[in-house]
Amino acid sequence: MSRYEPIIYKDGKRYFYRFSVHQRVQHVILFSMVLLLAITGFPLRHAEEPWAKPLYDFMGGTDLAPLIHRAAGTVLLGLFVYHTIYWIVLFIRNDLGQLKAHGQLNFKTGIKAFFSQEMVPNMRDFHDIVDAWKYLLYFTNRPPRHERMSWREKFDYFAPYWGVPILGPAGVLLWWHDEVTHFIPGIVLNAAYIMHTDEALLAVLFLFFVHWYNVHYAPEKFPAATVWLTGYLTEDEMIHEHYSEYLRVMTEHGLEDEIRPQHFGGQEYEL
Amino acid sequence: MIRRYSHIFGASLVAIVSLTLYSAPVVADDELDCIMCHKYRGLSRIDEDGEFRLFYINQELFNSGPHRRNQCKDCHNDIDRIPHKPAVKVDCAQQCHIVEPSGEKRFTHESIAETLARSAHGKLDAEGNPKPFQEDYPDCKDCHDQPFYRPVSVDKGTIHPGVSERAVTRCKSCHKNGDFAEDFYEHVTSRLRKTRFPMETIENCAKCHQDPEFRERHELDDVVTSYKQTFHGKLIALGSEKTADCLDCHVVAGENTHLIESQSEPASAVYKTNVPATCGTEGCHTQAGPYLAGFQTHVTYDREKYPMQFYMLIFFKGLIAVVLYFFLALIFFELLRRLFPNFTFIREKR
Repeated sequence: MSRYEPIIYKDGKRYFYRFSVHQRVQHVILFSMVLLLAITGFPLRHAEEPWAKPLYDFMGGTDLAPLIHRAAGTVLLGLFVYHTIYWIVLFIRNDLGQLKAHGQLNFKTGIKAFFSQEMVPNMRDFHDIVDAWKYLLYFTNRPPRHERMSWREKFDYFAPYWGVPILGPAGVLLWWHDEVTHFIPGIVLNAAYIMHTDEALLAVLFLFFVHWYNVHYAPEKFPAATVWLTGYLTEDEMIHEHYSEYLRVMTEHGLEDEIRPQHFGGQEYEL
Repeated sequence: MIRRYSHIFGASLVAIVSLTLYSAPVVADDELDCIMCHKYRGLSRIDEDGEFRLFYINQELFNSGPHRRNQCKDCHNDIDRIPHKPAVKVDCAQQCHIVEPSGEKRFTHESIAETLARSAHGKLDAEGNPKPFQEDYPDCKDCHDQPFYRPVSVDKGTIHPGVSERAVTRCKSCHKNGDFAEDFYEHVTSRLRKTRFPMETIENCAKCHQDPEFRERHELDDVVTSYKQTFHGKLIALGSEKTADCLDCHVVAGENTHLIESQSEPASAVYKTNVPATCGTEGCHTQAGPYLAGFQTHVTYDREKYPMQFYMLIFFKGLIAVVLYFFLALIFFELLRRLFPNFTFIREKR
């Protein structure tokens, strides 16, 4: 079905498929727009700080930077809508379509299919969180074994799904602040201002500390992970982060004999 | 900046200075030759109140302002000889010796003083009784030091700061004498935009309105801080001159900037019913609907006055704290786990 091989070999090393080109392009657009929004927005949020004016001037000053901010916001909102439609179309075509083809489509199986989508949080994630903390606090020597999407990745993924619906509409209101006051009370703009500025702070802090730790700062990733460019994970990354999936994919491809033990922090995990 | 209205310097020092350091005055028609002494940068003393007073006049600065055609005596009219006694505080409402060309009368700032007196900043209330805390109410010089011209030139449809040679060429074809063309051009075009940068205006109001003791005496909110949190304040901090500073919203419509009224006065530009007109004034929010007036500009995040903003702020602070502390703790413990990868309290068998 897919044009991507689940396992490929290059220079004698094994790589595991993760993201299609289509998804990688969406990610590049997403982070480019978020970075543009951040560097044209935060000088305004912290206008009194000494770094604000030089950065804002670099981004075009009080005339141009707001236009860049709005353009980037428009693209990001467009991407958000596009991705949501893309996701729904895939879900209907692949999952519900399969069920329908087998004559098993009803409300219950539909809901079940939804929660077995790889990005949708489910009970397994709850157990994985508990396992993660058990491991981190030295109560077990067994690192958590994640399937294709770990709960941390799901959180990263759904962060825009709570961030954009708050930031986007608030940004649109602030953009058309004059026109909208024909229909809505002015105090909504006060609320939009707080929503936009504080949710942006949360988004940026989360991205620059947590997400960038996951893909940049973590010792085995530093200086940068490559999956966003290549679409494939190395075997080490796969073992470290998605051991359940690793076991499954290796087994599916008849490579049971070559399965390596789980490890953490560069050392092989002792059983 | 220039504290030139004041007391005399010791006569002996003046004598020594005039004998040893005399040079030709720069202000040519200064009949008393005040600049003979006041050109020295160190001309200063500690006055009776223990305040340091500088009497130096920076002629370059003086000559870039609107008073440059005045003689010293036009304002300091109590001084008739040098060395002189401590000068009387200048009354800006007095008549100076400049004849105002449109009315052929001697010029005075009296009408401005009258406007100020009937504004919120006047010293007397509506019944003519002195308001409490008299010393808090401003005189001219509490807000104004020597202003500078900020002329603009228009060439081929572009506006740029300063007097371009090209701009005055046409004036000078008739008004050849002296600097008249330049002076008049600067006088007029400086009024095509505000005399001060918006940030100066804000800092000027902040001198009193951001002072905690002053605010407590007059039961006023910290309007300067709350203003700086608005998009108006932020854009101005980033160098824009296109957005509203204090005066744009608070000056009574159709009046000069000295008529600012309390928001409880029906005449005030920020009185409830006047806000839509004030926001929608020419060059500002002309496309806005009537509800824009409901936007709260001076939000202090006070629980009583601004409950919505207060609770929203708590919500977002809490949200940011919960999310970040959770993940930062996770990262911290993960890094810690790497230090002792094989240690565990409970060893599991496969």
